[in-house]
Amino acid sequence: MVEERAPAIPSVRGIDLSGLWSILALSQGVIVLPVATAFAALVAWQAIAVYGHISPTILPPPMMVLEQLVVNFWLILKHTIPTTYETLLAFGISIPLGIALAGMMVYSRLAYQALYPNIVFFQLIPKIALAPLFIVWLGIGTPSRVTFSIFISFFPILVATTAGLQSVETTMLRLCRSLRMSQWQILTRVRFPMSPPFIFSGMKVAVTLAIIGIVVGEFIASQQGLGYLILFASSRQQTDLALACIAVLCVVGLALYGCVSLFEKLVMRWYDTR
Amino acid sequence: MQAEISCNRVRKVFGKGSKAFEAITAATFSVEKGEFVCLLGPSGCGKSTLLMMIAGLESVTEGTILAGGTYMTEPRAEIGIVFQDPTLLPWKTALQNVLFPIEMMGRSRSAYLGRAMELLRLVHLDDAIHKRPRELSGGMRQRVSLCRALIADPSVLLMDEPFSALDAITRDDMNIVLLELWERYRKTVLFVTHSIREAVLLADRVLVMGRSPSQIITDIKVPFARPRDFAVGETAQFNELCAVLRREIEIARTSEDATRH
Repeated sequence: MVEERAPAIPSVRGIDLSGLWSILALSQGVIVLPVATAFAALVAWQAIAVYGHISPTILPPPMMVLEQLVVNFWLILKHTIPTTYETLLAFGISIPLGIALAGMMVYSRLAYQALYPNIVFFQLIPKIALAPLFIVWLGIGTPSRVTFSIFISFFPILVATTAGLQSVETTMLRLCRSLRMSQWQILTRVRFPMSPPFIFSGMKVAVTLAIIGIVVGEFIASQQGLGYLILFASSRQQTDLALACIAVLCVVGLALYGCVSLFEKLVMRWYDTR
Repeated sequence: MQAEISCNRVRKVFGKGSKAFEAITAATFSVEKGEFVCLLGPSGCGKSTLLMMIAGLESVTEGTILAGGTYMTEPRAEIGIVFQDPTLLPWKTALQNVLFPIEMMGRSRSAYLGRAMELLRLVHLDDAIHKRPRELSGGMRQRVSLCRALIADPSVLLMDEPFSALDAITRDDMNIVLLELWERYRKTVLFVTHSIREAVLLADRVLVMGRSPSQIITDIKVPFARPRDFAVGETAQFNELCAVLRREIEIARTSEDATRH
């Protein structure tokens, strides 16, 4: 037994090592390189800020930002919650809104002709310029921020879903007509099930816009949220706190984007189409 | 015997005014009940358009189309269609795709489950009933599509170059599968193709369609006994018939050139 085992060990080690190397080689381009680059940039930033005698108000070193994250953890968390909640609310409403509008426009040619050019035209307006008006219309509370955020985030979902619903091929539509399917049946049984890949790509764009909408709303009028805290910190020249808030915003954005990606993977596996 | 499909001077013009394009000049022919007819012609002769009109999927500019004795105005349940594309729903399994028409007609799926399984068995897809289209080869997908066209037990089967996107070997297999299915159900079939050998192997009658003027120029009976297999394709008579058809298509093309110049 022992004799048999003894020569086996080095070869096992050999395999492990080559396996480790191949993982390193594989992950080099995907993980190691971008992370190393970012880390190098942070180190350079730290060095310039500290040894260049730059005022922390202009450019606080990353370590100071990190310190703010730790010291003001509860304060930042307190303001992260409403921002995240309102973003989720806005995103959660723009998904069904965008999908339903797209469904309506593909279902009815009349609705398409009446609405689509107007919706596109509306999107050409610099929407951020409209943000103060939402405060006038809906006050300084959650409703105005969420409505503004929906206003800017439903569009990509609408456009992507419309494209998805219209991606059904002519021959497929001929088959549907030969089966004497109603427009409603074609929409619900063929067009919509064909659309998830499109809808998800629209959702990925929309989720980042939803956060922008909420933060802009918080800049304009709010007593809470990360947008408010950034404005507050900036006004007191606490650049390190403002940057800490921005870092948290990035994390929130990444997390939401990740959730959409994960949901997409689950749905696509369930559909098993691609 | 009553004709199952009968076309009388059917004309089709796409567009209006100066942009009008005449796809079919005047097509007149009929298909008897239980007959297998191939519609053969060069590309662009309007044979697919004619088939879509018979399916009720294209409007008729002039002339009349009768199916089962009544005027064809819209798609009907008793007409099954196989397109060049398999047009399967990617999220449904082979079995679910076959049952899709039943579902859409609001009929009971369970009542047709046995028939669906039988059809899939007849096209040798027993092992693939729960597979999705992306797991199937091109030939297998088209076999599922064939089963789907037959599930509601239509009286007529219209096939629009169903095997032209497949490779030659798969195509031969599909022809045999189709012959077996036809022997079993004896549907009225109108099969559009541009392959002369395919037409002669499958059909009871071959119609040749010409271009400009686009009409039926030849109607030839195929005398070979059924059931048929590839052995028939090696006989001298088979090749003679193919040669005759090839000449007919050639004559149609030269006369077309003569009128043009």
